[in-house]
Amino acid sequence: MGFMDSLTPTQRDRGLQRLRRLTFGATAGGLIAVVGVSYVAASSYAGKSSSGGTALTSTTTTDTTTSSSSSSSTSSSGLQSTPTAPTTGSSGSGTVTSGGS
Amino acid sequence: MPVALKSWKALGTSVHVLSTHDVGLEAASVAVRDVLEDVDQAYSRFREDSELTQLNANAGRTMRISPLLATAIDAALRAARLTDGAVDPTIGRAIRVAGYDDDFSRIAAEALHPALPRERGREIDPGERGREIPLRAWRVPGWQAIRLDRRLRTVWLPQGVELDLGSTGKALAADLAATAAIAAAGGGGVLVSLGGDIAVAGEPPSGGWRILVAEDSRVKPDGDGDVICVPAGGVAASSTTVRRWSRGGAVLHHIIDPQTSLPTSGPFRTVTVVAATCLDANIASTGAIVRGETAIDWLTSCRLPARLVENDGTIHYIGPWPDPASVAA
Repeated sequence: MGFMDSLTPTQRDRGLQRLRRLTFGATAGGLIAVVGVSYVAASSYAGKSSSGGTALTSTTTTDTTTSSSSSSSTSSSGLQSTPTAPTTGSSGSGTVTSGGS
Repeated sequence: MPVALKSWKALGTSVHVLSTHDVGLEAASVAVRDVLEDVDQAYSRFREDSELTQLNANAGRTMRISPLLATAIDAALRAARLTDGAVDPTIGRAIRVAGYDDDFSRIAAEALHPALPRERGREIDPGERGREIPLRAWRVPGWQAIRLDRRLRTVWLPQGVELDLGSTGKALAADLAATAAIAAAGGGGVLVSLGGDIAVAGEPPSGGWRILVAEDSRVKPDGDGDVICVPAGGVAASSTTVRRWSRGGAVLHHIIDPQTSLPTSGPFRTVTVVAATCLDANIASTGAIVRGETAIDWLTSCRLPARLVENDGTIHYIGPWPDPASVAA
């Protein structure tokens, strides 16, 4: 006599219902996982678009990386020294004062 | 090589333009004036119609800004990042609450009444004269709160946050002015000094530009002190000995420590730095004042020539700062 033969119709129905719930749960869980991983991936690498956005609030970043059109050093690199170190001098015409103001 | 000089007042401080190309001085000076007018319009904290004032008044909203203001905010954020927040542009409200709420020439004019209550646009009741104003502090929110989109040129500040670009802004202005001046001069070399923050461009005079290193930029150039020769880049000094006022019986100055939201109280009163730009020199000098005890180690790690004056007058030289005992020029 087989195992299935020992189940009553009621027990078999309950078993089938449990199986359907498990199947639905696994499918839903898989979908949630796919959406979650996609979100993380999109957040990690935003990619780039060939056309500019239109909404003012579409893109916000706290960081800045490149210089503007000025010659000033506004890049994210460290503080830059001069190629030639200053030397000692004496005052005379053309001298200016450095100091707090 | 002789140099020609032109001087005037702007941005609440003195402006000096020097040129090795005599005929180019006038054009260079006009170019500098134009840059400074643009700077004043973009990020003066004391003009009601400046972009910065409008931005501060619209905290909580995304605002589109001019390229110049975007560059200045960009520079300020870079300064904050490179100094681990020691130089922070979100000190605006803290420094205003502490009493620096107007062009300093007007604050200085009230020095005879250091306890005079001041509120912009409010007449002073004669009965209030002489009453000591309590010292107040406003917590600095931190530069990370700023949202700057450089591509769209938009910026967003949280409610209640006010920017002050005074420190890096003046140095950036010196760099921009020197670049504009050399282009206008048509050759030679130029030096631009904004209240002691100095940027040079083009071909320097023989031996380099001569700079008297003082604690107060108002010291006459032929005064006593160390003189250095700089062929390129910028020089900036930050000092707690100038721009001082009184609150709560305490004498305050304009360099705010973001950690305490109050003027710094570290061991150094003046720091002078030479760097590739005036902006970088200013970031280093202001950062060193705020860092206090760790300033020497930090400046050494930056590998920038620097001169630090302790509160008792002791002087320290960092990196390839020239030996003041040897006069070469």
